[in-house]
Amino acid sequence: MPSRDAALEIRTLAQDAVPIRVRASGPWTFRGMKEHHTEIVRTLAELQKQAPERIAWDLTDVGEIDDAGAVRLMHALRGARDVKVAPAHRDLLEQVARGLAVPQERERVDPLAGVVRVGEAAQDAGIHLRDGVTLLGQLALDASALARRPAELPLREFSAGIYRFGVTALPVTMLVGFLVGIVLTYLSALQLKRYGADLLVINIVGIGVLRELGPMLASIISAGRSGSALTAQLGVMRVTEEVEALSVMGISVTSRLVLPRVLALAVALPLVAFCTDMAALAGAMLISKYTLGIMPGAFLQALPEAVKVVNFWIGIGKSSAFGFAVAFIACHYGLRVLPNTDSLALGVTRSVVASITAVIILDAIFAILLKDIG
Amino acid sequence: MSADADQYVIEIERLVNAVGGVILHRDVNLRVRRDEVLSLVGGSGSGKSQLLRVILGLKRPKAGKVLVFGVSWDDPSQKRVRDARRRMGMLFQNGALYSALSVYDNIAFPLRERGGLSEEDIRGIVNGKLAQVELEPRHGSLLPANLSGGMVKRVSLARALALSPDLLILDEPTAGLDPDRSESFVRLIQHLREEHRFAVLMVTHDLDTLHELTDRVAVLHDQHIIACDSLDVVRAMKHRFLQNFFGGERARRALENGRSDSMESRA
Repeated sequence: MPSRDAALEIRTLAQDAVPIRVRASGPWTFRGMKEHHTEIVRTLAELQKQAPERIAWDLTDVGEIDDAGAVRLMHALRGARDVKVAPAHRDLLEQVARGLAVPQERERVDPLAGVVRVGEAAQDAGIHLRDGVTLLGQLALDASALARRPAELPLREFSAGIYRFGVTALPVTMLVGFLVGIVLTYLSALQLKRYGADLLVINIVGIGVLRELGPMLASIISAGRSGSALTAQLGVMRVTEEVEALSVMGISVTSRLVLPRVLALAVALPLVAFCTDMAALAGAMLISKYTLGIMPGAFLQALPEAVKVVNFWIGIGKSSAFGFAVAFIACHYGLRVLPNTDSLALGVTRSVVASITAVIILDAIFAILLKDIG
Repeated sequence: MSADADQYVIEIERLVNAVGGVILHRDVNLRVRRDEVLSLVGGSGSGKSQLLRVILGLKRPKAGKVLVFGVSWDDPSQKRVRDARRRMGMLFQNGALYSALSVYDNIAFPLRERGGLSEEDIRGIVNGKLAQVELEPRHGSLLPANLSGGMVKRVSLARALALSPDLLILDEPTAGLDPDRSESFVRLIQHLREEHRFAVLMVTHDLDTLHELTDRVAVLHDQHIIACDSLDVVRAMKHRFLQNFFGGERARRALENGRSDSMESRA
């Protein structure tokens, strides 16, 4: 029975002009080289150390050959003069030999790479800024056109956006709000008890939650949840050329895709922030009862006195701006996705990071602008 | 291993396949021999691609047996399944190239995953494959997004051939190519088969390709394989679908043109 594995047979005739005679047989294929793979590779490596003119190769008994077998043999055959090959195998061996002869491109080390990278980053930031401003301008134009003809608002996308970015986000944001309310109240209560200023907890938690924490929590969760989804959705639409299809049909991408989403999040986020506020206050009320003995009725009665209602409206107004920023940034990154998976992943990551950063920067700006109010 | 398993690369017996509760295939029997090119044809929506998915093991059939190289995709031995998978190459209709990898890395991917080859060996094989599909080493650094449709097909073919498969599955190999490119693609497959006698299972709508490349044609219609024989025999069958499919004016012209061309080239 013929051997099912590739084999190498070496005969040494010391007195001969070509003292080493190598005969290869069996299937030199991916599968055929399995059993004696290591042994063959080692033998071939040893043969490579010999001067090529000292070896005569006979490959006529090779049954089958594929790229794996050919590439192994070609390494050892480099420079060999006496090679017998079956005509059927000649093409493949030559093809692999040509493949091996292709010079490998070496990456050149650029001493100015660091400078180039900084320059590229600056250029990239400039392009982002330019495209961002363009998108913002286009949105403003679309919004003014819409104001003249309100019937043209893509109502279905808008309401779907409110449901998707608002209603479905409620469970997670309210749970987080509730827990944050508990933690904040508990830690404040521990400190305030020492000074006998128990009732101040309502001021601290009330202002903290309504003016800062509620909107911030809602926006940051939205940036992670809805912002990433928006970028991924628009990104995939770019990859599958759906965005281009819209443009070709003469439909404005910004008014059809961007505007309803931005408006939806700008409307939905204040509602989410409101529910987050309520959940956080509920958590605060609950924990005040157990740690400070403030009954929920007393808490609710003291709240409007401790916290001016303008703080609540500041919080709601801020969250609308945050919603706009998150959706705007998500759409901006989504529309820049290139048709490959890496670009999509990078776009989503950058969008989430940029929108969270933007929310925090906006919050700082609001804090300075509105410092005398409330 | 039985003699049958050696003779056939794909065996499908009494296959029943459903998608979303709708039966697509009922009692389908099909065998692909180890040295033939078998084309699977059928009208749009006849379930050709779904049958291909079952053969590829991407979808589990409702009932029946599917063996590729004598191995069922449900085989308890992971090794047998893996070995069978490595013996087949697939050319997806849209190429299915990894968009984040360059052309070179796409072709090198199955070789690297398989292991046992040094980077230099892989370089030799990848550059060889590029030349085989009539591309140059400089194309290796391009990303799939920068390739034309024809180049995507060729790179995808090079990747499918990287592990020197015994079975090549082609899903609409010439769809989206101009007649010239599609002809050169057919010639390329013919040439590759001369070097290495792999079996080919091909889904196609292109009657020129069918005529030039195919040994046998399997026709999928109304949930069954209604015919599986050489193109001439299938065309001569008295079945309304077959007569419409192969007997329409365009089909007749394509098949006859193909025939006269090949006769001229022979002369």
